[in-house]
Amino acid sequence: MSAKACHHLQLYKKSNKNLESFKWIHAVFVVGTSLKSRKAKICNAYCRTCKKRGPFLHACLECVYFGCHKHIREHTKYHKHIISMDLTYGQIHCASCNDYVYDAELDSITLHNKMQAGNFKKRLFESTHWDPTEEERDLLDRRTKKICITPESTIGLRGLLNLGATCFMNCIVQALMHTPLLRDYFLTERHNCNGVPGTCLVCEVSKLFQEFYRGARVPLALHELLHLIWTHARHLAGYEQQDAHEFYVATLDVLHQHCLATMPHLTNNQDEKTSAIKCPCIIHQIFTGRLQSDVVCQKCQGVSTTIDPISDFSLDLGPVSIGCRPPSSLVDCLERFTRAENLGSNAKILCTKCESYEVSTKQLTFKTLPIVVSFHLKRFQHHTTEMKKISTVISFPETLDMTPFLSNCKKESPFPSDNRYSLFAVINHVGQSICVGHYTAYVRQQHNCWYKCDDHVITRANLKDVLDSEGYLLFYHKQILEYE
Amino acid sequence: MPQDYDSKISLHLDINHGLDRVTELVQTRLVECGWRDQVRLACRKAIVENGNDQHVPTVDELISTVTPKARALVPDAVKKELLHELELILVNVDKSGYSKSF
Repeated sequence: MSAKACHHLQLYKKSNKNLESFKWIHAVFVVGTSLKSRKAKICNAYCRTCKKRGPFLHACLECVYFGCHKHIREHTKYHKHIISMDLTYGQIHCASCNDYVYDAELDSITLHNKMQAGNFKKRLFESTHWDPTEEERDLLDRRTKKICITPESTIGLRGLLNLGATCFMNCIVQALMHTPLLRDYFLTERHNCNGVPGTCLVCEVSKLFQEFYRGARVPLALHELLHLIWTHARHLAGYEQQDAHEFYVATLDVLHQHCLATMPHLTNNQDEKTSAIKCPCIIHQIFTGRLQSDVVCQKCQGVSTTIDPISDFSLDLGPVSIGCRPPSSLVDCLERFTRAENLGSNAKILCTKCESYEVSTKQLTFKTLPIVVSFHLKRFQHHTTEMKKISTVISFPETLDMTPFLSNCKKESPFPSDNRYSLFAVINHVGQSICVGHYTAYVRQQHNCWYKCDDHVITRANLKDVLDSEGYLLFYHKQILEYE
Repeated sequence: MPQDYDSKISLHLDINHGLDRVTELVQTRLVECGWRDQVRLACRKAIVENGNDQHVPTVDELISTVTPKARALVPDAVKKELLHELELILVNVDKSGYSKSF
């Protein structure tokens, strides 16, 4: 097959406008998986001559015309249009050559479209070939050892040495290493760094993933990671015990900054925009949702809504008010988090309708949920002089449905969304206060196997152990991912 | 959009993802039962028989020569299964309410 098509197509390709329209038609009518392009396809994909929806519907690439196999040929002949595309497989037909033609450049466009598609269509990939690069061929030749993953295999589990009260870091690393989407991102090497070697935290995490899933079993020492965190989050530097939650928040923040720095298409003037919409970095894609805050004026019932990004779900555990039952489960905590709260007469808020300060209620709900939700149970209470630990039992489920805590508009949508979440990691704190004590982590490995990670010691656990543990940070991931 | 009866059915199928599902199913079945290999052979034969050094048959020519044979080669079991699947989808059209929004 000649990769370069006939000169008729070369002529057609000369115009950028033509290439753009080719790309667009292919994306909508051949691949077409998003709701919008599906609508466009359904409303327009029929033969303009016989009004039938097939067979072999083609699109003329030189004017706006769709036609079935018979009528597209008549159309190109009559109007002297040359290039058309079949809408089932996306093949290009040249009327001058009287046959379908192949072209490497257009193939790469179509491949890009197919890879961007929301779901997998077998027919589009049947004739796609894969050309391994020199490096990939080399790897295929040399790495011939197969690793078989059975329920007994321990691949993905690595103990982490305690470098002197660094268990707070070890348990967060264990949780991150077992975050399914993060693992997929790093194991497919999606991070292309162009910064100074040894300064990028994302690269360091990427290296860690390789270490974790390489099959070795010797415990790792994370001094490089610790050093990077110390240099980028100064408040965590030093050898004393830190709060695991604080470390987690700081780590995500540094990862996000380093991710953004290596994304070439983002320039500084776009920063304001990206903070308004969704940040494209992998950390925010996975860990950030949007929190809606509705302030209702009690006089005019006017609602003012603000929406903020949220990645840190900190839940209060103390008694709500005297006589009220303190929360005893994660759902209780969430109900409390999303309950309408009367701000009282001391904290009146300016109502834009009444144009005066009025008594208001405030309610928080989740506008969108992140793929991974990490709940932080506020077990450490800041008292005037000391930090007190609240050891109340808070039960948490293996599967959590977040639908009741969503903002209203989401619930009423005709397409019911599935908002169930599965537990995949739990971090526990053993000890009386924030300054002393020890952190351990339970992580889910493969599908249903749980392991307890206590620094360099990893032992098998069962679901009951996990659910009976005290719980300080709870990590849930979404069960069903929706296409955007 | 003006359309005849056949097209209304295929429109329904398109909207409910039915067509995608059915084509994928039929495709799998045809590969499984060896139909695709037979058609491939038929195409090869048609190229050898109808072509010469100056002229290789075009795809359109191949389609017109091979299609009747290929149609005849489709096993009855596949046809029956397809019919059954289509019935299922069309009977359930009313249940999947959002097809009316178009």
